[in-house]
Amino acid sequence: MHEYSVASEMIHALLPKAETIDGRIVAVILKKGEMRILSDQALANAFELLAQGTVLENARLVVELVSVRVSCPACGYEGAVDHVSDDAFHFAVPILSCPTCQSEVDMKAGRELYVDSLTVQTPSEAEQA
Amino acid sequence: MHNVQVHGEDILKRQLELAEKNRRLLEGNNVIAISVMGAIGSGKTSLIERMIDRLIADGRQVGTIAADSAGDDDHRRFLAHGANSINLNTQDDCHLDAHTVDHAVSHLPMETLDVLFIENVGNLICPADFPLGTAKEMVVISTTEGDDMVRKHPKIFAQTDILVLNKTDLADAVGVNPERIVSDYAAVNPHGTAILTDARHNAGIDELLAALGL
Ligand SMILES: Nc1nc2c(ncn2[C@@H]2O[C@H](COP(=O)(O)OP(=O)(O)OP(=O)(O)O)[C@@H](O)[C@H]2O)c(=O)[nH]1
Ligand SMILES: [Mg+2]
Ligand SMILES: [Zn+2]
Ligand SMILES: [Zn+2]
Repeated sequence: MHEYSVASEMIHALLPKAETIDGRIVAVILKKGEMRILSDQALANAFELLAQGTVLENARLVVELVSVRVSCPACGYEGAVDHVSDDAFHFAVPILSCPTCQSEVDMKAGRELYVDSLTVQTPSEAEQA
Repeated sequence: MHNVQVHGEDILKRQLELAEKNRRLLEGNNVIAISVMGAIGSGKTSLIERMIDRLIADGRQVGTIAADSAGDDDHRRFLAHGANSINLNTQDDCHLDAHTVDHAVSHLPMETLDVLFIENVGNLICPADFPLGTAKEMVVISTTEGDDMVRKHPKIFAQTDILVLNKTDLADAVGVNPERIVSDYAAVNPHGTAILTDARHNAGIDELLAALGL
């Protein structure tokens, strides 16, 4: 699917910052909203391939899920949502509805996709280790 | 080891900005745009054809953007029904994005259009990740795909507010109970609207147009 082009855009945007870093980049922490359909494994594979020959080579892509959060215009609720509990569904699916009053809600989090941080090992840290 | 905060921009930010640009352009020209997503062969083109016929009979101008992976079959079908159509060959792409739509829209007579249908690539996975800037979105599946489509691809249904279950004429033949699909949809999207259609025999098209606000 499109994980390859997403990984490509991510690396492209990240490299200018990554190249200024003193030390070895061990991991890239990507935050992914729960509503995104991107596959973590496909992203990691694409990242590994596309990072070759850059300072991100040998870095691990770590995908951290960001839970859906909503606000309810009807009752003022702000927070997490319920998930479909039916076993017939193979995934935990967030229900975009107010858990307290069942009204329609505005999604505040759950669709994001951004690099949050890098895990770096400097030469002196490597020596200590 | 230590962590370096990056707080990078959203990787899909440019797509979101382009979708907003499309939305402003469409709204600015009073064009109601509808994104039609759904499974391969579920009847996306057939449903759009039926809607084009009704809208044109109503005196409205209709545009279409047809994303065919190759060739121009859907595009020709839309032209034959009197739409202003643009053909997009998406080749191996699994979805349309706002950038592609931005280009296509520049080839359509926006000032004269009332309604624009954008038929996405047949796929129940990625199109949900790529908003195009349309006023409404619908996802089409048909009875012949079985009754487990919503359970297999829940996320696209959870975030798309109109579900069209097409080919109801074939439900009995394939042993599928439409109610099961409708209740699965209600479980993942309690505020969504499910419409049953039979594009072959023109059933449910008025209900669909009403749900789309057309
Ligand atoms: N029996 C029956 N056949 C239908 C119905 N809707 C569409 N079809 C048939 O199903 C086939 C596929 O319909 P299309 O409208 O081309 O489907 P599509 O979703 O646009 O297909 P792709 O663009 O190739 O993904 C055609 O042979 C249609 O005539 C329906 O409600 N009932
Ligand atoms: Mg089609
Ligand atoms: Zn509420
Ligand atoms: Zn895709």
